[in-house]
Amino acid sequence: MEKNVIIDYKHRQAGHCESGTTSNLFNFYGIELSEPMAFGIGNGLYFSYIPFLKVMFAPMISFRNLPNTVFRRSMKYLGVDSTVIKKFDDPKESMIALDRNLEKGIPTGMQVGVYDLTFFPPEYRMHYNMHNMVCYGREDGLYHISDTVMEHPQVLSYKDLIRVRYAKGPFAPKGKMYWINNVKKDLDIKTAVSVGIKKTVYEMIKIPFPLLGVKGIRWISKDVKKWPKKFGNEKASFYLGQILRMAEEVGTGGAGFRYIYGAFLKEAGERYKNDELLASSDLMGKVANRWREFAYIGARNCKNRSEPKEDYGMLGDILHEIGGMEEIVYKKLDKIKI
Amino acid sequence: MEENSDTIWKDGRFGKSREISYYYDQKGQYDKKVEFREDTVKVLVEQHWDVINDRIEEARQKVLTGKASPIVFYMEKTLADPITVSMMSGISLWRVKWHFKPSVFKRLNEKTLKKYADGFNISVEQLKKIQ
Repeated sequence: MEKNVIIDYKHRQAGHCESGTTSNLFNFYGIELSEPMAFGIGNGLYFSYIPFLKVMFAPMISFRNLPNTVFRRSMKYLGVDSTVIKKFDDPKESMIALDRNLEKGIPTGMQVGVYDLTFFPPEYRMHYNMHNMVCYGREDGLYHISDTVMEHPQVLSYKDLIRVRYAKGPFAPKGKMYWINNVKKDLDIKTAVSVGIKKTVYEMIKIPFPLLGVKGIRWISKDVKKWPKKFGNEKASFYLGQILRMAEEVGTGGAGFRYIYGAFLKEAGERYKNDELLASSDLMGKVANRWREFAYIGARNCKNRSEPKEDYGMLGDILHEIGGMEEIVYKKLDKIKI
Repeated sequence: MEENSDTIWKDGRFGKSREISYYYDQKGQYDKKVEFREDTVKVLVEQHWDVINDRIEEARQKVLTGKASPIVFYMEKTLADPITVSMMSGISLWRVKWHFKPSVFKRLNEKTLKKYADGFNISVEQLKKIQ
């Protein structure tokens, strides 16, 4: 059983863990699909703000979709034969399943918790269980891991791998794993792009719930203005820092993944010669730049925590403006026919 | 399992990893580059860890002066909140909060202590007293 296997799998660094993983898996099967394309088709873009749920002592805010959405949806929309195993009750069983896959020559994606990942940059250390990586080989008891956050492939021991696959806490991975069985050579990417855009537009402006999508951005823009009075300057700057960290830092796409989505719109527009898509890609780029500007201005408040340099009212206004800009983009996208 | 609790976050690898960032330039081109983190973003990271280190230190003082049980210290040290501790150890949330009292913690039996120790990935002896 202890046979050394290493699959010829090409590791590429990416901005967002799950779409990077999906795009790398596609490349392994000979389909050229860039990271932004996987991100766009699989509805990576999202916004949610849940003030009453605290993550790392600050209100929860998320710029990405639920775990495993990108992989599952892009497989569904492209019509690819794939398998997702949601959970294993016994950790040993999950490792046997992984070994079996490796011996068959299938690189396997896994959902893991970040907290105990030994090779991970220490500044990202937190209880975050929605990370994705691919295992593509086993050699002398060490598993070869392709993690798209890292520049180079890494290794993990058997014990460490079990520990991260069975990390505890909210959204526990429970040994979830997924892989592609086989891919047809002629994928209908055009329809998938169209369906993917429709779904993203729905999630961003049409869900009838106030804290999701553009409505969530508007809601948080109101809350930001109240923070310094309600919690004092120290805490307000910590909360602000958490938003900015989520937008710029965690997941590393930059500016809340708006850049990656813009790149997707541009690539789709060039591929299908659609000027409307190119125009909305330009708008999306401007939204992303505005997000980044917001991060730079907000970071000044985080540097001087007790005496804010910038007015929180002004920051709230910028967020409100961003919400309006994004709504225009999605309304535009809603009307496009590809 | 870390021994030195104070500076574990800022070990040799801190800020040494390069990552991809996307950007959109004046000409309307998307591109990506691999680089170290910018100073603006470093401010955010440092603020985050400063707050957490403060919390750990505060919890340590509370435990040493007998105002809280060691569970509080280990909870802060593993960056968890009560819900996560409850999920890590498999003990219900209100019981976890009840065990934050030092007087209650003293009366806990070995089985419960073992559950906490396994959750925090330490031994029972380490759980009973802090450095």
